[in-house]
Amino acid sequence: MKNKKNLWGLCVMPLYFFTLLFILGPMIYMVAVSFAKNNGGAYGFTWNFTLNNYTKIGDPIYLQCFIQSFKLAFATTILVVLIGYPFGYFMAKLSPKGKKIMMFLIMVPFWTSSLIRLYGWIIILQVKGVLNTALKAIGLIDKPLKILYSYPAVLIGMIYALLPFMILAVYSSVEKMDWSLVEASRDLGASPAAAFVTVTLKLTLPGLLTGVILTFVPSMGLFFIADILGGNKIVLVGSLIQDQLTRGSNWPFAAALAVILTILTSLMIYLYRRITHVKDLEGIF
Amino acid sequence: MKKRLIAALGMAMLTTAAMGISASAEDLVLFTWEGMFPQEVLDNFTEETGIEIIYSNFDTDETMLEKLAQAKGGDYDVIIADDYIIEQAVAAGLVGEIDKDIVTNFGNINPLYQGQFYDPEDIYTVPYGAGIPLIVYDPELTDVEIKGYNDLWDPSLEDAVAITANYRVINGITLLSMGKSMNEEDLDVIAQAGEKLLELAPNIRMIQDDNTQDALLNGEASAAFLYTSQVTAVLAENPDLEVVYPEEGLGFGIMAAFVPADAPNAEAANKFLNYILEPEVSKQCMEYIGYYNTTGAADDIVDPSLVVPDSVTKGEIIQNVSEEANEAYNKNWTEFKAACGAN
Repeated sequence: MKNKKNLWGLCVMPLYFFTLLFILGPMIYMVAVSFAKNNGGAYGFTWNFTLNNYTKIGDPIYLQCFIQSFKLAFATTILVVLIGYPFGYFMAKLSPKGKKIMMFLIMVPFWTSSLIRLYGWIIILQVKGVLNTALKAIGLIDKPLKILYSYPAVLIGMIYALLPFMILAVYSSVEKMDWSLVEASRDLGASPAAAFVTVTLKLTLPGLLTGVILTFVPSMGLFFIADILGGNKIVLVGSLIQDQLTRGSNWPFAAALAVILTILTSLMIYLYRRITHVKDLEGIF
Repeated sequence: MKKRLIAALGMAMLTTAAMGISASAEDLVLFTWEGMFPQEVLDNFTEETGIEIIYSNFDTDETMLEKLAQAKGGDYDVIIADDYIIEQAVAAGLVGEIDKDIVTNFGNINPLYQGQFYDPEDIYTVPYGAGIPLIVYDPELTDVEIKGYNDLWDPSLEDAVAITANYRVINGITLLSMGKSMNEEDLDVIAQAGEKLLELAPNIRMIQDDNTQDALLNGEASAAFLYTSQVTAVLAENPDLEVVYPEEGLGFGIMAAFVPADAPNAEAANKFLNYILEPEVSKQCMEYIGYYNTTGAADDIVDPSLVVPDSVTKGEIIQNVSEEANEAYNKNWTEFKAACGAN
C-alpha cells in the first residue's frame, strides 16, 4: 500500500515542478523586474532598485486606465450574467437530447481561434459590413452606423468571448440542483418568484459566482478585443502593459502594472467571496 | 520597417549566417537581409566585373552589428542595414570610408537622404531605399484638401482618420506640424505636442499598426497615416486614393550600404556601391524591394509611386532621445489614446 502511495506522489511531481517553474518562477521574475530601472528609450533594463515604476502608476492618466479596465470588466460581467444566467438555467431544463445539442452548439465556436472569430465581428460591424447592409436593406437606417471601433463594439466582443463560460458554470449548477426543494417551497406557499430567489438562486450561487469570476478576471486582461474592435482607442491596463513591453520598451513599468493588476484582481475575487459567503467555487479552487 | 519583417523569418537564417564565410580575392561578401536584391542585378555585376557575390543574411540589425564587431570590421565587404545601427557601427569604428574615386556615381544620390545623423559628412554610406510614412486619403469622402499633417486636425474629418500605432512617429508628426523636430528633447515642447495631440483625438477612427490601410478600403476611415508598404498596398487596391507628402516635412527611415573598416576586398565593395548607384540598377532594385528610391538620378525611370516629389526637401529620422523625453512621449501617447476612446 505504501509503495502505491509513493508512486502516485511521484506521478504528480511533474505537475508541481511545472507549476513552480512556469507559474511561480515568472511571477517572481516579474515582481523583481518591477523594481528595476529602465534604460530610457533603449531596449532592456538594469538591476538598480527603484520604486519609480510604482509611483508612476499614481499618475492620473495611468490610474484612468485602471478605472477604464474595471468599468469595462464590470459592464461585461453584469451583461454576461443577465444573458448567461437565464440561458444556463433554461438549458438545464431541456430534454437530455436538447441539452446535448445545446452543449455542442456552445462548444463549436471554440474550434476556431478567438482571434479569427473577432475578425468575423469586424466583418459584421464595419461600415460596409453585414449588419449595416441588412439594416439598410430593410429600411431601418439610411446612413451606415459607425459601430466598429467604438465602446459598444468592444462590449459586444467581450460578451461574445466570455458568455460561454457563464452559461456552462450556471448550467452545471442548475443541473445538479435538487428540484424537490423548489417544489417544497412552492407547497409551503411561496410564489414562483419567491421560490426562485430564496431557493434556486441561493443554490446556484456557487455556479453563478464561478461564472462571474471566469468572466471578470479574464475581462481585465482581454485587451486584444479592445484593440481589434475598439480600434486601439480604449486604453485598458492590458494594452498599456503591452505597449510598455513592446513599443515603449519599458519592461519595469510594465511589470509594475502587471503586479498591481494581479493584486487588484485577487482582491476582487476575495471580495466576491466575502460578500456572497460562498466557500466552495465550482470548477475552480 | 524591414527589420520587423525579417525578424519573422526566424532562426533559419541565423544558422545560415553563422556558418563561416571564406572569400577569395575575387569574391565579394554582401551581408544584408534576405531578399534585398533581384538575382538578375547580382548576376549582371558578376558578368561585368568577374567578381563573384556571396550573399550572406542576417535577421536583425542587432545581429549584424554583433557579427561585424566580432569580425573586428572584417569578413564582410558590403553591408546594408538600417540608419540607427549604422550610427552605432560608425561610432564603434567598424565602418570604412567610401572610395569616391571608384564610386563615381556618388553624385547620383538624392541629397534629401544625405547628411543624416548616422553619416553627417556623407563619407561612409550610400543610401539604399527609404521607408516614409505618408498620408493617404479618399478625395470623394473628404471635404478638405489634405496637404500636410495639420489638415488631419480639420474638424470635417471627425471620426474619420486611421493612424499607425508607433508612439514616437505620431508624437513626431505632431511636432513637425508645429514646426519642431521629431526628436525634440525639450519637455515643455513635448508637453505642448501632447496638448495638440489631444485635439486630434476626436478625429481618430482607429489606431493600428497592421493592415491600417484596410480602414481606407472598407470605408471605416476617409484619411489615413500609413507606412510605406501600406501605402503601396492601398494604392494597388484603389488607385483613386490621393497620396500626400506632408508639406511640414517627412519622417523617414533609411537603409544604407557601407564598407566595413577592414573589408577583405574593399575595392570590389566600392565597385559594387558604384554599380548599385547606376540609375538602371537602382530602378530594378527599388521596384523589387518596394521602398522609396534614394538614387535621384533614377527618379525619371523608376516607378513614379516610389519617387518623392521635388517639392519635398525636408526629412527627418527618429532617433533615441533622453529617458525623460521618452517618458514624456510615452505619456502623451497614453493620454492621447485615452482621449480617443472617450468620445
